[in-house]
Parts: sequence; structure tokens; C-alpha cells
Amino acid sequence: MFHCEVVDVNKDQITIEKAQNFIESQKCGASLYFLGTVRDHNNDKTVTGITYDAHDSMVKKSFKEIFEDAIQKLKLDHPAAFVEHAKGYVPLGGISVIIAVACKHRAQVYEFSRFIIEEIKKKTPIWKKEHYQGEETTWLEGKPIEVKK
Amino acid sequence: MKIKVELFGVCREFSDNNFLDLEFDKNIQIKDIRNEMIKLVKDKFPENNNYLEMVKKSAFSSKDEIVEDDFILSKNETVSIIPPIGGG
Repeated sequence: MFHCEVVDVNKDQITIEKAQNFIESQKCGASLYFLGTVRDHNNDKTVTGITYDAHDSMVKKSFKEIFEDAIQKLKLDHPAAFVEHAKGYVPLGGISVIIAVACKHRAQVYEFSRFIIEEIKKKTPIWKKEHYQGEETTWLEGKPIEVKK
Repeated sequence: MKIKVELFGVCREFSDNNFLDLEFDKNIQIKDIRNEMIKLVKDKFPENNNYLEMVKKSAFSSKDEIVEDDFILSKNETVSIIPPIGGG
């Protein structure tokens, strides 16, 4: 079972409750919740928020491919995953990404969650513009996208 | 032929419209789009080497698939520029 979404934070919000409702409906013995949040410093600057940009359709496609890769590579038993990423301005402390996973046994959920976030960083077209104290903003450099072969 | 380039990430700074409309008088490949965007950045932001590097390092996509520089574009096609990524 899989759910993914790009959440436009001007219209909706990422919540743990939604992930919990999805994950708890699965017949699994272990579940794990990962939250990415906006931290207050980066590159010796005081961060006040981050604007996330996303190519929505490619992001959703990428999330589905990552889920399918995880099942195949990690040989997961009864996997379920709920992945949402923010698009738009997220203030300090706000949730940028949630990855909730469930499997039959506990060892697999740690691997599963880690696999998803690491692959998102390599393969999912999302960008960050940091906002600092004062009016300054910077698009973070990022890494060239890895193409699935 | 007209090609629309959807802009993302740092490349959104290239236009107020979040896209570029480019005109070509022949059939073109992705590398022609890249070269045209390099020219545009050099003209519009002559001091900004970062923007230039971003275009050089960017991928392009057509119909949600990353395509190579020799990919041949159809008339009136829309493509997206995918600068280096960094979500999470």
C-alpha cells in the first residue's frame, strides 16, 4: 500500500495524523515515522524558513519508483508507505517531508525509511530556497539528478 | 518551431513567468535548448556564473522523463529544465 503527495502548503498541510491513519490501517507489526523539518542555521546563516519548489508530476512518479525499488531491493514483507513533501514556504520548525512506513517486522522499517529519504535526495526533483534574517534568500546548490536506468 | 521550457528551482529566476518561450527555425535537440538558455543567461545575467553553471549542470525532461542532450523535440513541445536537486 502506498500514498504519496506534493502538498501545496498554501492550501493544505502535512500532518502526522494523516500518515498515522494511513499506516495504522495496514496489518503490520512495525511502523516508523520520519519528519524532515526546517532548521535554524545553515552555512553560518540564521535561517527563517525555506521555500520548496517541485516538479509535481515527476516528484510523484519518483516517489512511486522509489517505493517499488525499496520493495525489490530490501525484500520487504507487507510494506506500506506514506510519503508527502511540502511545496511553498515552510517556516522554521515546519514539516518539509513526512515518510511513514510499516512492515511485518521492526528491522525492515528502519531500512525502508532510510532508503526512501536517501533516494529522494538523489532522484526527486525538489529544490530549496532558504530565507535568512533580513531579506536575503538563496537557492541551495543541490546535486544533478540521478536518472533511473 | 516553438518550444516552451518550464522553469524550476534556481532557473525560475530567469523569467517572471516561470517558463520561457523559445523559437527555432529548424528541428532541434535538447542540446539546442541548453545552448539557447546559456546565451540567454549570458545576456541577461552577465555577472552571474552560478546561473551559467546551473544551466550547464541541469537535466531536461519531456513528458516526465529525463531525456539526453541528443533527444529530438517535436513541434510545440513543452520541456522542463531540472537544475541540480536537493529536497528533503
